[in-house]
Amino acid sequence: MLKLGNRLDVYEPGQLKHKFGILLIIVAVVLTILALRLWYLQVLKGDDFRQRSENNSLRLRKIKPLRGLIMDRNRKLLTENRPSFNILFIPDKARDIKKSIAKIKWFYSLNSLELAGNVSIPDKLKPFVPVTLERNATMEKVAVVEIHSFELPGVVTEITPVRQYLYGEANAQIIGFTGEVSRREIEQDITGHLSPGDNIGKFGIEKSLDAHLRGKSGTEQVEINATGKIVRSLGRIPPKSGNNVVLNIDLELQKAAWEAVGNRRGAVVALNPKNGDVLTLISSPSFDPNIFTGELSAGEWEKLSSDPQHPMENRAIAGQYPPGSTYKPIVAAAALETETITPDKSIYCNGAFKFGDRIFHDWKKEGHGETSLHRAIVESCDVYFYNLGKMLNVDVIAEYARGFGLGAPTGIDLPREKSGLVPTRQWKKDRLKSPWYAGETISLAIGQGFNLVTPLQLASAYAALANGGTLYRPRIVKQIESPDGRILQSFPPEIKGLLPVSAPNITTINKGLWGVVNERGGTGYLLKNAQQDVCGKTGTAQVIGLPQNAKEKKMTAETNDHALFVCFAPCENPEIVIAVILENAGHGGATAAPVAKKMLDVYFSNKLPERSPSQGAPASNKVQKQ
Amino acid sequence: MKLDRGLLLNFDWTLFILVMVITLIGLLNIYSACLSISIPGQTPYYIKQIQWIIIGFAGMTIAFFIDYRFLARHAYIIHGIAILLLFVVLIAGNSARGSQRWIALASFSFQPSEFVKLTIILALSKYFDAHQLSRGYRLKELLIPFLITIVPFLLILKQPDLGTALILLIIFLAIILFVGMDYKSTLMAAAGGLVMIPIGWHFLKGYQKERIFTFFSPENDPLGAGYHIIQSMIAVGSGGFLGKGFLKGTQTQLRFLPEQQTDFVFSVFAEEWGFIGGIVLLLLFLSLIIWGLNIMLHSKDYSGALLSFGITMLILWEVFINIGMVLGILPVVGIPLPFLSYGGSSLLVLMTASGILMSISVRRFLLQK
Repeated sequence: MLKLGNRLDVYEPGQLKHKFGILLIIVAVVLTILALRLWYLQVLKGDDFRQRSENNSLRLRKIKPLRGLIMDRNRKLLTENRPSFNILFIPDKARDIKKSIAKIKWFYSLNSLELAGNVSIPDKLKPFVPVTLERNATMEKVAVVEIHSFELPGVVTEITPVRQYLYGEANAQIIGFTGEVSRREIEQDITGHLSPGDNIGKFGIEKSLDAHLRGKSGTEQVEINATGKIVRSLGRIPPKSGNNVVLNIDLELQKAAWEAVGNRRGAVVALNPKNGDVLTLISSPSFDPNIFTGELSAGEWEKLSSDPQHPMENRAIAGQYPPGSTYKPIVAAAALETETITPDKSIYCNGAFKFGDRIFHDWKKEGHGETSLHRAIVESCDVYFYNLGKMLNVDVIAEYARGFGLGAPTGIDLPREKSGLVPTRQWKKDRLKSPWYAGETISLAIGQGFNLVTPLQLASAYAALANGGTLYRPRIVKQIESPDGRILQSFPPEIKGLLPVSAPNITTINKGLWGVVNERGGTGYLLKNAQQDVCGKTGTAQVIGLPQNAKEKKMTAETNDHALFVCFAPCENPEIVIAVILENAGHGGATAAPVAKKMLDVYFSNKLPERSPSQGAPASNKVQKQ
Repeated sequence: MKLDRGLLLNFDWTLFILVMVITLIGLLNIYSACLSISIPGQTPYYIKQIQWIIIGFAGMTIAFFIDYRFLARHAYIIHGIAILLLFVVLIAGNSARGSQRWIALASFSFQPSEFVKLTIILALSKYFDAHQLSRGYRLKELLIPFLITIVPFLLILKQPDLGTALILLIIFLAIILFVGMDYKSTLMAAAGGLVMIPIGWHFLKGYQKERIFTFFSPENDPLGAGYHIIQSMIAVGSGGFLGKGFLKGTQTQLRFLPEQQTDFVFSVFAEEWGFIGGIVLLLLFLSLIIWGLNIMLHSKDYSGALLSFGITMLILWEVFINIGMVLGILPVVGIPLPFLSYGGSSLLVLMTASGILMSISVRRFLLQK
């Protein structure tokens, strides 16, 4: 065994002198090797490497992913990705940035000075980040740039997938659009995946589901030459396409509604009353989302954003209108439930209703005569409902209106929904600092006054009547799927509440709605010949508080009444609810009802059994991977 | 206390200033290296490095005031704790990039393998101080030093962290050669070592072998391991004689190199400060190492001499391997550049080790043989 147990202490300070010398030599040799290598790389080969770092360098290039597709309920594509050419400028590839900018400005002398303006302030710390000179360049321009690449060092072309919206204006407010990410959006992005030049959703579904649609960029290592051109690819990590989104929207119905509305202002909403699926959502006038994929000029943007018609506003969810006579069934429900009236009780209508020193007129001057609740709904008798208004308290009406989902956002999966307005005593006191007058309840009872609803709220309220009393949350998005068709997330029906109305009373009201369309004298009689039994209610909403007798005197485009129509069909077991509002279009029965009629025709003639998810082949992205 | 006054009177300012200057150069360099990768909402690397410098400073101060002989006396326990921590890492450590090296401690994570570099020096010093011989050691007399080394070596290899394992091996060999081996034993060990090479090769992981292949022909794998070497050489080379200037390294700011704040930090420095900067840094390291050897030479006891030798060698070989790797003359293995690489454990350990050096340095005036 070792005999090392005892400490020998043979150490004498200074005995290491010899070893110290050897160590000094080793240290000197080792560090000299490094110094010589440094000399070789930096001094002897320095220019070569500088050249390599500046010119023929390797670079990691980002490959943009394909954005997920958006489809309608029958998997018809609403968006596509098509290849687009961009012209870029890489400042650090330009030997003399000022000269290059001058050249580019000359090159773009005609109309793109704004773009060249971008180039004049390259970020000093990031001269390698490409500046986009032009998006969506024409093939001719790309060809010219390619041919002149020697005169334009640093100017390169690239192909990127670009979003295309197949039914532009009709779906614009739902689908929205994408645009280049802003500096602020990059800073606020928690995923940290965004970088300048990326496209992200800016509006509509494109925005709300951006995280799903976006996909993940890939990288490619490329060798680029002195002009910034890619010489060869040395390897790549492929990008990951975004997920696809399937909407509940029915494209055919959507197109039919869009065509039927034509160039009028208004909104159309169609729901499936059984589950809250949004089948149609139209807002007119609209805009073409495809203009955002190109380089939108300041002028174009100005024109769009300052248009007095507000084409970017989604009237279906954010347009707030007085409901007019479409409100009557809700008032009827309040009256029935509170036992203020019974269905059998009649009220005599002579065409006018006197309250205090004020006279409220019926839309039918000669009056409706002895009117039951049923006839009052069918013929939309104002005097009958004035009487209900006199009997009911404003807060009771408000309570029932809220029960129908009015006065609060429906919770649809689109941003910027408005809540409408259900007036109460307290509201008026808080907001207008004045007490409630009984006369206001009377005009409230026919849907005039302070009442405001969105077309979506109206459709949703009638959907609840149609299905026997269940209020569903309207849902635009059906499901999110992976690029290979796996369902990642689906959005099942969501019950928001039940109408505060008993089943017999709902039946009573619905019978009235049937009469509106199917009985002689009904205000929606125009629709009677549809293929199915239709229940509905017309409405005509005063735009401003003109004295009623002054109305006939002067009607301009701005003061004409809004036309409303809400319907559901088939009356037995309804499948579809449609709400139509046309601004300043006059009587609901005459102008709004035909829009619904065209949609019903399309719906019941085109109706095919819905494809199950497994049958539907995943739609393929059209752009070839680069 | 007399000793305390002596500690301050004879304080090794040269060593202290050298360490602090190199550390601050490292801090500036990390600031530049991470300029282009700062993530909003996350503490920037240079701020974290400042925090680690403060912690390291504390470690250095404590090590300075503690008599190194006290540390040497408890070297086995300290080394044992470090080995225990390596076990903990293997069982419960945080994985990062496919290897388990870290233990999370509050908001900091630290790497026990860095500490083992120091504790192994302590343990080997204690052994050879306790078992001094006037002749060379024979193989069987080196069994315990071998065990002191091989246990943490294998644990670290398992993480897997080839670079750190390699450093342990180098420290072991340096100390064995320093204390001297029997002529016959040296030959046998060398022969044994040669036999071990093919066996060891067999145990290397695929990517580790690849790195070694790549080292010989980096152009064959430009997207993989060779990418680092090529980009690193371009960054260094393009710095030229005078460098591109602070914060102006295009290769650096372009993020051509991953991990440029840790193992490839020298390429950032060399790109921005050029040959002049590189030589200045090498001279600073040279001064530090020679100063360390000087402390060894003048140490009043064998334990202090062994300790200062070990610490100096740790710095020398880490500098050589790291910079050699960055300059493309050595294969890419993960070894930090002392005082310059981002990373708390390495900095804390090296500053503590400097504190021990200072402790030895100051006590040569205080201890009477």
